[in-house]
Amino acid sequence: MSDELKSSLVRPSDAEPTAARTTVPIWIILLTLLLLFLGAVYFDRHSGWFDKQVYTPYTTSEELALYQPKSGAASMLAHGKTAYETVCGVCHGSDGLGKPGQAPPLAGSEWVVKDVASLARVPLAGLNGPIQVAGQTWNLSMAPMGAGMSDADLAAVLTYIRGAWGNKSSAVSADELKAARAAISGNAPSEAELAKMTPVERGHAAFQKYGCYQCHGKDAKGGVANPNAKTAEQVPSLIYVADGYTKDELIAFIKRGERVIPRLNPGGPEPPHFMPKWGPVIKDAELDDLAAYLFSLKPKGENLGF
Amino acid sequence: MNNKIGVFLLGVTALALFGTGVACAEDQLDAETKARVERFEKGPATVDVSKYPQTIQDNYEVFSQKCAQCHKLSRPINSDYALPDEWSRYVKRMMHKPGSGIDSSDGKKIYEFLVYDSSVRKKAMVDDKLAKLSADDKAAAEAKIKEVHDKYDNK
Repeated sequence: MSDELKSSLVRPSDAEPTAARTTVPIWIILLTLLLLFLGAVYFDRHSGWFDKQVYTPYTTSEELALYQPKSGAASMLAHGKTAYETVCGVCHGSDGLGKPGQAPPLAGSEWVVKDVASLARVPLAGLNGPIQVAGQTWNLSMAPMGAGMSDADLAAVLTYIRGAWGNKSSAVSADELKAARAAISGNAPSEAELAKMTPVERGHAAFQKYGCYQCHGKDAKGGVANPNAKTAEQVPSLIYVADGYTKDELIAFIKRGERVIPRLNPGGPEPPHFMPKWGPVIKDAELDDLAAYLFSLKPKGENLGF
Repeated sequence: MNNKIGVFLLGVTALALFGTGVACAEDQLDAETKARVERFEKGPATVDVSKYPQTIQDNYEVFSQKCAQCHKLSRPINSDYALPDEWSRYVKRMMHKPGSGIDSSDGKKIYEFLVYDSSVRKKAMVDDKLAKLSADDKAAAEAKIKEVHDKYDNK
């Protein structure tokens, strides 16, 4: 080590250390805020939001019993809420406020509180707009998302929405649902008739039952307008699914749905139609038949050569 | 000084809003698909086709132009599809989307490019997938790969 360097390492004895104010470096502030932000995100995702059941769980079995559904009515309501949030809440919102351009509100909607037969028709048979809800016009279409639910399940859902978010209307019984279903089933095939059909025919019945035609067209040839959808602003045709999907891929897609439809103009509005998540709605056997029906639609003799 | 703090707070707010937006967008796609697509999209967005036959290079042009209309090219390039049937299905799936602008002759060019490219660039993946097929399916897949090579090689 050179002498020069050595002397520079030793502080001259006559130099006094000085204290002075310096600004906090900006990176420390940034880091602190970033950590705060990440902490908040972590808290949001992983904490129980100060729910007392998370931080001080039940101490006695009596207390636990308090949280168990006691009567039939309470358990029906809880069941209805769960089913609502799994299927209906995806569009109508868990707060029942709906979504502009996609689904009308159920809170304060005259459709929800009117007679059971008219209300039940919506989830059982679907509904095509335009309709008036709370003084606003909604020109949309809803698939019969409740067609696959049991009478008891759907009755629970309807009871829930008729009593939630400030709605004050009577409960719905499974018997009322059964009657409503019978009244609108029209020429839908019975269980016995379905059993005699081929898978393709049964699949066609499922196509009708779940209202697939409302968006994909009567013959599944598509063409229903879906403004600002990247797919040429229309709901796609289904007649070529045999080309593009294996049976498993197709069923997985139907179950999953496609909530977010890519937009033609990224700055434009959200397209009103999207593929619902059918997993909780259509039964597995029906999905098999539906796939058989859709595969049968491919025009005969068309060959792309690859 | 106050100005600086104001600007800074604005920045933090923007960051927070952005974070919230990202978190919300995430919830809308199913997690598995999203993770897969993201993994694919992280890879390179181009293929070095300089050693491929000229006609396959032309097909690569068609592929680049048509497929990039709707998604990043890195998605198909790095995807785990490799066999002729997989590509046939996916090209047809995309091509039948209304407004795709891909006609059957473009579709075939894209399919042939992808099969050719997979058989060279993703050879290990192709071999791995072939090994898992039944003897008949394997022979059929190999025939389809050979068909594309016969059509394009040495020309």
